[in-house]
Amino acid sequence: MLYKKDFPIFKNNKQMVYLDSAATSQKPQVVVDAVNDFYTKNNSNIHRGLYDLAQRAEDLYEGTRKKVAEFINADSKNEIIFTGNTTESINLVTLRYFEKVLKKGDIVVISEMEHHSNIVPWLRLKEKLDIKIYYIPVTKDFLLDFDKLLKAGLDFKKVKLISLTHASNVLGTINPLEEIIPKLKSKFPNAKVLIDAAQSIPHIKVDVVNLQCDFLAFSSHKMFGPSGLGVLWAKTKLLNDMDPLFLGGHMIETVTKQKATFASSPQKFEAGTGKLEAVVGLGAAIDYINSLNIKNVQKYEDKLTKYALSKLPKIKNVQFYGSLSPKYRLPVFSFNIGSVHPHDASEILNRKQISVRAGHHCNQVLMEILNSPSGTIRASLSIYNTIDDIDKLIEGINMVKKIFKN
Amino acid sequence: MEDPLYREIILEHWQNPQNYGTIKSPDFKIEGSNPTCGDKITITVKIGAGKISDIKFTSEGCAISKASASLLTEKVKGMKLKDVRKLTEISALKALPIEITPARHNCALLMFRTIKEKL
Ligand SMILES: Cc1ncc(COP(=O)(O)O)c(C=O)c1O
Repeated sequence: MLYKKDFPIFKNNKQMVYLDSAATSQKPQVVVDAVNDFYTKNNSNIHRGLYDLAQRAEDLYEGTRKKVAEFINADSKNEIIFTGNTTESINLVTLRYFEKVLKKGDIVVISEMEHHSNIVPWLRLKEKLDIKIYYIPVTKDFLLDFDKLLKAGLDFKKVKLISLTHASNVLGTINPLEEIIPKLKSKFPNAKVLIDAAQSIPHIKVDVVNLQCDFLAFSSHKMFGPSGLGVLWAKTKLLNDMDPLFLGGHMIETVTKQKATFASSPQKFEAGTGKLEAVVGLGAAIDYINSLNIKNVQKYEDKLTKYALSKLPKIKNVQFYGSLSPKYRLPVFSFNIGSVHPHDASEILNRKQISVRAGHHCNQVLMEILNSPSGTIRASLSIYNTIDDIDKLIEGINMVKKIFKN
Repeated sequence: MEDPLYREIILEHWQNPQNYGTIKSPDFKIEGSNPTCGDKITITVKIGAGKISDIKFTSEGCAISKASASLLTEKVKGMKLKDVRKLTEISALKALPIEITPARHNCALLMFRTIKEKL
């Protein structure tokens, strides 16, 4: 109950057991208030407004940029680009950096546990530029097999990018990137590293210095902030090498009839009026996480994980997809119940107001590896969940088994 | 325990679907899918004297889609093609022994939509 009281959705849905935080998180009152306050007290467009209101709006907007930079330990707030979501952040890097630098035969390394947002953009470059994509396999224990990559005999000079998710939205696996990236960088010295932190950032410390990455992408809506907003972080030098994708207002230096020159980062990448209230809300979300201390979040969630792992995989006829060790793991649990289709199971769970997601979770490549073409049921937890929620899920699973005689 | 949607009759058709399989030399074979759920169906049909003389299906999908396909193949088997063409989605849903919630219409109507498209 420690954290649940901070989230008004549970006051309005008293019986609901929300187990879909990997899709989107619920929002604490402080975030709702920040968005409301923005519109009721501080709403104005930003950029060169010469009146108090505009200055306040700009301070709030740019203040969030600074909070984000500090939150992920970036060098400068100018390395923080606001986008629409993780997907847009990755696409921006694909279109504006890698489409320019990759050549035929170059290799992009991703993994079998990537979300479609870190597969499909690279598939487009594969079509366009005739590059190769190497997928790091997932082991039987649901971890990434980095050894296979190191021993795959790839032409090390050709590997130009390693783009990996920090944590799997299906398996819950946290990839030990802080340990492995230095090894990968020494084996593949020409490779840049992109990390998809969409799943990890509401749960564990994400620090771009410790991660030694070049690009980082994440979404506000999965970390207690408003939806429609994402972040791309990249090293200044790389941002300088990137052309803007959209051109127009707010992103220029000078414009004449014949020529325009562009502002520097981050303005260069933020054409037009941004998602002002969402940015302000993200600032409040970061304040909220900081006030809890991410270490406490992790400790609390580890308790939930341990409990769930002690129960869920042991239920008869439940196929469980994920590491059974609570180490390096998010409270994200994928499973199937006998021969019951995940959609049927989730419909039954919904009868008990248990909200889970069912299907392929935008990971069709992984579903093939798991040999689960209809997908899985996924219960994903966050700080507002309790042991009681896990018990209710188990009751729900037993009800599914009873109805379907499985 | 009886669930309002997963009633005995649905579970029965899910576990033992009628007209399940493939006709050896069909007059036509059609495939349909429901991308939101990943349900897939393959239907083979034999026509005789302006009627659906035989129909079989194989499918991958949820209980609702499989049971509905089973029930609806039973309904259209032996029907005149011109009568099948006249069937509406509403009448197909009505032909099912349970109330289908809108979220599951795509599942319940997969077989019906697939065959209607061909006819
Ligand atoms: C690992 C991972 N990457 C990327 C995304 C895409 O995030 P968004 O939909 O906010 O762009 C998700 C969302 O589910 C995810 O889980």
